[in-house]
Amino acid sequence: MDLLLHLCVVIAIYSIFAMSLNIEVGYTGLFNFGHVAFLGIGAYTSALLSLAGFPFAFCLMVALAAAGLTGLLLSIPALRLQGDYFGIATLGFGEILRLVFQNEVWLTKGPMGLPGIPKPEMLGVRFESLPEYLGLAAVAALLTYLVLGAVTESPFGRALRAVRDDETAAEILGKNAFAFKTRSFVIGSVFAGLAGVLWAHYTSFVSPSDFTLNETIVVLLIVVLGGKGTRPGPVVGAVALIFLQESLRFLRLPPEWTRYLGPLQQMAFGALLVALMVFRPEGLIREKGRK
Amino acid sequence: MDILLQSVVNGILAGCIYALFAMGLTLIYGVLNFVNFAHGELIMWGAYFLYLFVSEPFSLPLWVAVAPALLCTVCLGMAMDFAVFRPLRKADRLTLLIAAMGLSFLLRNAAQFFWGAEVRTYGLEITRGFRFLGLSLTANQILIIGVTVICVIGVYLLFFRTSLGKSMRAVSDNLDLARVVGINARWSIRAAWVVSALLAGTGGILMALDTNLNPEMGVINLVKAFAATLIGGVGNLWGALLGGLLIGLAENLSVLVISPGYKDAVAFAIMVGILLTRPYIVTGKRMD
Repeated sequence: MDLLLHLCVVIAIYSIFAMSLNIEVGYTGLFNFGHVAFLGIGAYTSALLSLAGFPFAFCLMVALAAAGLTGLLLSIPALRLQGDYFGIATLGFGEILRLVFQNEVWLTKGPMGLPGIPKPEMLGVRFESLPEYLGLAAVAALLTYLVLGAVTESPFGRALRAVRDDETAAEILGKNAFAFKTRSFVIGSVFAGLAGVLWAHYTSFVSPSDFTLNETIVVLLIVVLGGKGTRPGPVVGAVALIFLQESLRFLRLPPEWTRYLGPLQQMAFGALLVALMVFRPEGLIREKGRK
Repeated sequence: MDILLQSVVNGILAGCIYALFAMGLTLIYGVLNFVNFAHGELIMWGAYFLYLFVSEPFSLPLWVAVAPALLCTVCLGMAMDFAVFRPLRKADRLTLLIAAMGLSFLLRNAAQFFWGAEVRTYGLEITRGFRFLGLSLTANQILIIGVTVICVIGVYLLFFRTSLGKSMRAVSDNLDLARVVGINARWSIRAAWVVSALLAGTGGILMALDTNLNPEMGVINLVKAFAATLIGGVGNLWGALLGGLLIGLAENLSVLVISPGYKDAVAFAIMVGILLTRPYIVTGKRMD
């Protein structure tokens, strides 16, 4: 039972993270390969502030603001780039941020990480036990679903898709493509920050090794598997992938295999990503109105 | 003063290797018009193939093992194209990019599966460097410069003195036009993969000889190779050579002023600098 609750918390957090990437990759066509950086900024900001004794609501607000602001600052040089170039630039940014977490020992304790992050307390409720935390994560996921859903269904969302499908045509129709991409990137960054905050307070420990390229690949796979550019896609993808990942635990494998299990699982994720692109790029759920 | 001079020499050495990476990356870009996100994995696997052949059960001497290692790297490059990029020739960019990213992830973890995540070396004896004008140079480092010069001359001869090179340049300029005039584009593309994989594998081996091997070496070097191609102008072989040298120099000189922990961040900083000041380099005609 505890395992199931735990899985639900993980799914809720990954859903938020995936939805935040979906607005960039799925709706706007921004190839963000450094999305994990914003997860990290949210997690570290909130962890450091709450370890310093600030109340959770304040930590959350500052963490979201920090993620959004970093997104804005990164978007100025990075969004001058198209496609592949944007991908490499964001990939580099993600790696740099990990170096910062690792090297600024005075602030982040470096590779040792930050232990003992307190459980959140808000409106007189302390989200300590698993069911309580699940409640918090589920509400956050639902809010993200509703907010990002409203955003993407609005004229703003239509403009994003227009920029994605044909930037030149969108510009001719008077849409400032750069401004739309920037806003999409900032929104995505803020919600990735939210996922980071929830993650840090859930595990009560953050370290640089939580924010590697692997996380980016996992979340990218979730978005692509579920169906990029669709509302339920990231959630469906998160459920499918987390269960796929956890089902491996129930295979009774000999203990000497465990060293191989991690890389093997990651290889399977890579292969799945390639196979999806070659055979079914639209994922499980197809975007309406697209061939 | 000695430290400064030594940093310049180290910078040139690192730069030679980055130049090999960047030339391979920019070559595939020129011919197929996409950034091979799995190029870093060709670098890493090149180094690991050599490791495979020098360790049990092959236990070949290092110099002998280089040939089969490079051959395997070329095969890996061809296999990448055959299994992933060729079926996606007509796919949109997002699809292609995600597939390449997945492929890179697959190959990186495959290396980790076979050899573990730990740092390895070829087990060479540490040799004393030659002292020269107050500088210290090891035999490996002289080898790095020598091999780079040979590779650059080889690429020059291939591209500007053979008909295959001419057809590759034609395909790189305009694929459709090249086809219309009867150039066999398929062979040009294959040749591009062979040369790209050879350069990546050679660079990876040289880098592992001078430092060490680990499964993560591909990713970080991809960013450096890319920064180098941006400096030189995307699709431009000689620009990539120059860009690689500049990145190597900048990185090694940066150690004099900032924490060595951020050495890997320098390439990224230069990249952002270029984007902010000279964006037209990367928004030229090839940027569609």
